[in-house]
Amino acid sequence: MDTETQRKWDIASRTFDFFSFADQRRFGPHKRRLFSKIHGATLMVAAGTGGDFQFFPPGLDVLAVDISSQMLERAAERARAYQGTIELRQMDVCDLPIPDDSFDTVATVCTFCSVPKPVAGLRELYRVLKPGGQLLMFEHVRSHIGPFGIFLDVMTALTRRFGPDLNRDTVGNVLKAGFRLRREENVYLDIVKIIEAVKPPSVVP
Amino acid sequence: MYFVIGDYVAGMLCGVLTALAVRGVVWPGMDMAVAMMLGMAVGMVVHFVLGFALAPLLGMFETMIPAMVIGMYGGMMFGMRDSMAAGSQTLGAAAAVGALVGAIVVFGLKMYDRVLRGEVVDTGD
Repeated sequence: MDTETQRKWDIASRTFDFFSFADQRRFGPHKRRLFSKIHGATLMVAAGTGGDFQFFPPGLDVLAVDISSQMLERAAERARAYQGTIELRQMDVCDLPIPDDSFDTVATVCTFCSVPKPVAGLRELYRVLKPGGQLLMFEHVRSHIGPFGIFLDVMTALTRRFGPDLNRDTVGNVLKAGFRLRREENVYLDIVKIIEAVKPPSVVP
Repeated sequence: MYFVIGDYVAGMLCGVLTALAVRGVVWPGMDMAVAMMLGMAVGMVVHFVLGFALAPLLGMFETMIPAMVIGMYGGMMFGMRDSMAAGSQTLGAAAAVGALVGAIVVFGLKMYDRVLRGEVVDTGD
């Protein structure tokens, strides 16, 4: 377990809902639309305080993990309120104690801005997804628009001390991890994105 | 509607505060290059503080990106203007121009967002 990252997000859990209040309202409909594609056994990575459980369609069976125990403590009530099953577990996405090919869907919300080794984490998700399984991501990334990209680079020097990096190339990292990109959608400029990818089905020799 | 109005109010507030802060540190006759850099630095500080203060109410990126453009580029423009004493002689006039710049930047970014928003890749799987 990456204790440094764990400690950072334990501290961030105290103000997480406050700072994400407006983003939840702005982006809620987009998340609901994305999560309507969830099917089968589902893993949610970096569940945070559970603010995104409200966007899941009812009746799912979800394992929701986070590196921060204090985030999960705050998520417990929202997990209980969900009309389906959400099991909360503390795990590091880079080292999931989960067998290969376990899930049909993996969902993330603003997760790979925060994982220190994003490609390693995405390779773990690739491992636990069944062949043909889908990765549904709602993420913010580095802008390709000149001044915005530079600005996000500069801001990252500050924000990574207490929260996420703002300049990740998450689409590129998804491809590096072996996924096939199914769909990419800009939600705000080219910074906030929906990314859908699949683990290619096994090739039978 | 809350967010649309909020975005414009935040942008105008950022423009006003940047214009007034630049007016406070740049005087007529100051070297224009120095004034522009100073204006940009002041604008960056204003945008940074205001962006973080308003992000919980309006969203992190929808606040920080317009505030960055207003603070950085607006700060440079206001610095250039004030070093030449070229218009907006009163604080009220400077604040009004700041609000106008803020509103225009927010409008421009909303239009740009409309252009960029939507599918970039869809393999049809």
